[in-house]
Amino acid sequence: MTLTSPTDRSILTHDATGSPVPGPAGPVPRRRSLVVGLGVLRRLGAALITLWGAATLAFFAQMALPGDRATTIFNIRAGQAIERTPEELAPINQAFGLQHPVLVQYLDYLGGLLRGDLGTSYQQFRPVTAIIGEQFPSTVVLGLTAILFAWILMVLWVTLTAGRPAWVRSLGAFVDTATAGLPHYWIGILLLVVFAAGLGWFPVISADKPSGIVLPALTLAIPLAGFLGQSTRTEFESTLGQPFVTTARLRGLGDATVRLRHVLRHALLPAVTLSGWAIGATLSGAVIVESLYSRRGIGTVLVNAVNQQDLPVVTGIVVLVAAIYVVANLLVDALYLVLDPRLRSQA
Amino acid sequence: MTVTALAATLSLAACGDDTKDLAAADPAGKTLVYAHQQEPSCVFGGWIEQAYLSYQVLDSLTSLDENGKAVPWLATAWKQSADGLTWTFTLKDGVKFTDGTPVDAKAVVKNFDYWLGGGNSTAKVWLQGYYEKAVATSADTVQIQLSKPYPQFAETVSQGYFGIQSAQALSKRSDEDNCQQPIGSGAFTVQQWNRGQDIVLKRNPNYTSWPANAKVKGPAQIETIDWKFVPDATTRATALKTGEVDAIYDVSSIDVQPLQDAGFTYEKYVTGGRPQALTFNTQEGPFRDENVRKAFAYSLDRKALVEAVGHGVIPFEPNGSVSQATTDYDSTAGTQYGLDVSKAGALLDKAGWTGRDGDGYRTKNGKTLEVVLPYSAGSIINAEGGSILQGVAEQAKGTGFKVKLIPVPPSEAFAGAYTKPSERDIYPGYWTSIGSGILYINWRQSTEKLPNGNNAAFYNSPELEGYILKANSAKDPAVRKQYYSKAQRFIADKALAIGLYDRLSTLAVSPKVADVWQEHSQGGPVFHDAHFTD
Amino acid sequence: MSTETVDSPPSGRIERDRPSRQRALTRIAARPGLILATVFAALFVLAALAPGALTRTDPMALDLGHSLAAPSLAHPFGTDEQGRDLFARVVHGTRLSLGIGLGAAAVSLALAVVLGSVASLGPRWLRAVVSRLIEIQFAFPTLLLALLLVAITGPSAVTQVFAVAIGTAPGYARMIRGQILQAKGSAYVEAALALGHPQGAIVRRHVLPNAVRPLVSVFAMSIGQSIVWASSLAFLGLGVAPPSPEWGALLDAGRLYIVHAPWLTVVPGLVIVVLAVVATTLGNHLRLALERGER
Repeated sequence: MTLTSPTDRSILTHDATGSPVPGPAGPVPRRRSLVVGLGVLRRLGAALITLWGAATLAFFAQMALPGDRATTIFNIRAGQAIERTPEELAPINQAFGLQHPVLVQYLDYLGGLLRGDLGTSYQQFRPVTAIIGEQFPSTVVLGLTAILFAWILMVLWVTLTAGRPAWVRSLGAFVDTATAGLPHYWIGILLLVVFAAGLGWFPVISADKPSGIVLPALTLAIPLAGFLGQSTRTEFESTLGQPFVTTARLRGLGDATVRLRHVLRHALLPAVTLSGWAIGATLSGAVIVESLYSRRGIGTVLVNAVNQQDLPVVTGIVVLVAAIYVVANLLVDALYLVLDPRLRSQA
Repeated sequence: MTVTALAATLSLAACGDDTKDLAAADPAGKTLVYAHQQEPSCVFGGWIEQAYLSYQVLDSLTSLDENGKAVPWLATAWKQSADGLTWTFTLKDGVKFTDGTPVDAKAVVKNFDYWLGGGNSTAKVWLQGYYEKAVATSADTVQIQLSKPYPQFAETVSQGYFGIQSAQALSKRSDEDNCQQPIGSGAFTVQQWNRGQDIVLKRNPNYTSWPANAKVKGPAQIETIDWKFVPDATTRATALKTGEVDAIYDVSSIDVQPLQDAGFTYEKYVTGGRPQALTFNTQEGPFRDENVRKAFAYSLDRKALVEAVGHGVIPFEPNGSVSQATTDYDSTAGTQYGLDVSKAGALLDKAGWTGRDGDGYRTKNGKTLEVVLPYSAGSIINAEGGSILQGVAEQAKGTGFKVKLIPVPPSEAFAGAYTKPSERDIYPGYWTSIGSGILYINWRQSTEKLPNGNNAAFYNSPELEGYILKANSAKDPAVRKQYYSKAQRFIADKALAIGLYDRLSTLAVSPKVADVWQEHSQGGPVFHDAHFTD
Repeated sequence: MSTETVDSPPSGRIERDRPSRQRALTRIAARPGLILATVFAALFVLAALAPGALTRTDPMALDLGHSLAAPSLAHPFGTDEQGRDLFARVVHGTRLSLGIGLGAAAVSLALAVVLGSVASLGPRWLRAVVSRLIEIQFAFPTLLLALLLVAITGPSAVTQVFAVAIGTAPGYARMIRGQILQAKGSAYVEAALALGHPQGAIVRRHVLPNAVRPLVSVFAMSIGQSIVWASSLAFLGLGVAPPSPEWGALLDAGRLYIVHAPWLTVVPGLVIVVLAVVATTLGNHLRLALERGER
């Protein structure tokens, strides 16, 4: 038996700003609107700090990479990795201000960020915003589709198999665990060979065809569904034992209705939280999927940029990802309030 | 009557298969989908992947035929001066870049200046030490002045790195534009580049400057090339089999037979120049001793390894300095090193490595015989190459070498990791070249005045350099061959480098498409003559 | 991830009052999943500690005449392109892969406990700073972190451990912080404070144990996740240096041969999945046992 009272169970993990989770032992707010307003400001402030922190981390991490950046840039353009003379490197150093002290470069970079200027790629001679702008939508589409698929799979599976006879539950849990442990490349290549090459149901190279998104999204969705399912399942099953569910059943509601309308929305809370994290994790999985199915996307650009020490592109992507993450969390918090009315009164 | 009849028959016979009826194949609406494995940052540049791409949109002065001889392209004729220090190229009349400006001598000179000014570092590497300047002596004549004779000059400028761009584009357009859409006089133009996905090339209907060894004497027979970037080898092969693409690049050895059985055409081009060889660090470390180098060579059964991993597709290369597809290749160099474990052991004993440590590796004065073998995984050494290197390490272990394989991440590799003598013992890597002139780049001495970062063995020998210089400047091909042979044998006899396998440039083409061939200076697809068979 | 699990739906069965040890054993026997997981776990541990017990074949030995051989009695998992026995390679790779998984999970959790505790129990300013730190770490793409780490320190097992650990720590840190906050605000703690119990004792005796208990299953789950992550890094060429038979590297090496020698890809992937399942199952059961023990 744990120490918490049943009503607190739905407030599982956190709130984005780090302020204590609302509970019975808090001061009663005087003016509602003021508190809400301050809360919003606080969240925004926290978001900005997060963005700044991520950008700074990216900048200095890139600076920490071994080797001289001008040499790297030159070598990549030449396709040969050897030592270069200062005369060869001079134009590159000039063009990108690489000879200035680190702090100056950092301040320049921050200044640019504030202006909305993410810099110019060292290799492509194009502004970073252009590069990200053309690659980003594809990854977003992939990520959102993957999360959508994951949710559909997970909800179906958990609703069907949770809280049933032991063997069904075990099977359900086993499938969740097994799928959560699938390496992305493995499931991707198997799907490709079986469904695209073997059965021909989907194209091998997805390009921009609508049918081309199915296999890549599934590759990301299946492990995610398993991962989300694990926590949703435990939440679902504990909610099934709740008094209000027994009440609902006594009122004569069918099993399906009980599961779908009453239990599900509470069980989904941990999955909602995890989805915020999932968006970030999708990026990493997206690199593998993009390479395998030859889709364009931010993941590949990121890997190439790191390999080429193309600092503006790397930091640009980090800032972008951090921004999305921050926005996603704000949305998740809002979703929490929608899903659980109990939280609304406490907020 | 008989004379005219004879003349008529003769002229008919002279036509042969080379000329195709230009009106026969209507290119409209025909798109060829091609899957390449590597996407460069710019269309034109010093990297081989860029040469493959820029070849489609830029013409060079000369083209290379199967025998490695230069044939006319943008230049109809060329000649060397008696002292070999001046080359005069005569350009084809009436050729225009796709921006309307003429392909004239001034434009060519501008391109030379551009390359040497940093526009193409590989072009520069081929020219430096020999090239002095280029002058436009008339509207269609370019004179190149050299400081030393360079008999293979015409062949050298056939490579994609020497593609000619519009002078106006080079001076007036931004770097970004020239990177994305260089303006040339080639069979295709860049229509659109969707980064990460594909680059769409459009047929140049006003194409008048095909090379002399083109199969089709006219503009291209397909309207569009959808040049896709598909990094995964399995995905490429699968896409070819399902018909989603018409041709692919870089076919892995294991796919070759099944694809051929299924009716696909397999084009294999063995790259000339330095093969994928193991070059020993002769300046520092255990390989300073020639006996240790030879012991390493005798520990390996290179042929069996390459044939097993390469499924008989990848050619084994005994020569450590020049590949079998290179002009003036010496086929005996390096063949003396087969698997001979007892000989290897004896050599190590002679070198003083007589002890054994707990794991069975040789030791000398308490120090283990450890050799560091870093390699650029993915870019320079592909998956099969990596596998072969693992085999090398395992075989060398049998004699007592502790080989430390280090796959170097690209960012480190390009930043110059493992380029110093204190950092590595063996260097694996290829360098494409048409003739054995590559020896100059890789084996010229590295001096303070003229450092040579490409001398991977850190080996300075005036004797070796002497052979190479004599060969480079020899006017008589037999003399040239003799001196290049001397150089290759020198390298092999001293075990400065031993060969593993030759780098391949491979294509697999759908039966629906005909006349896709590979360019002869470095490989890479030529789509100018391609057409659909139906 | 949640704080309490109901074992079985209300079905009306009454538990007889048997000695707890017998009850536990019956429970175990009734769970074939647990038995299976334990057997596999034992196999994995044996493979990690004494691979020679499971296979005599040298995982590095070349057999160029038998390259790409299908599974057979001589080679239960087949051979790779150099004729190396895949079964031997998988067995010998267990130490490295399991090590990476355990290492990453341990480092990650240690980091998470420190960060999460400070973020919920420290003075206000410190809590704010560390919470921000966690968020920043979260927002930073783990993949990028791994790439940069490998670029800085070179590919090795240790780099992988830290890359994966730093990437997964913020998530767990957040969870721990949430748990601690929840426990802090619980009625029980409120009552204990009202009764005048010292804060330190409350934290030690009630807040921390409750926060830490769900970590057991999280730890187990993260072992599997870490190994999957490591295999992704191997795919990107950031894996352990060859010819090491680490499972991620094996998976990556099988890429070229998926059509002609599928066992080279299927087997390493399966082994990774099995380990993840085993770890998670054992973790869940351990957590349940601990919770039951509390009652």
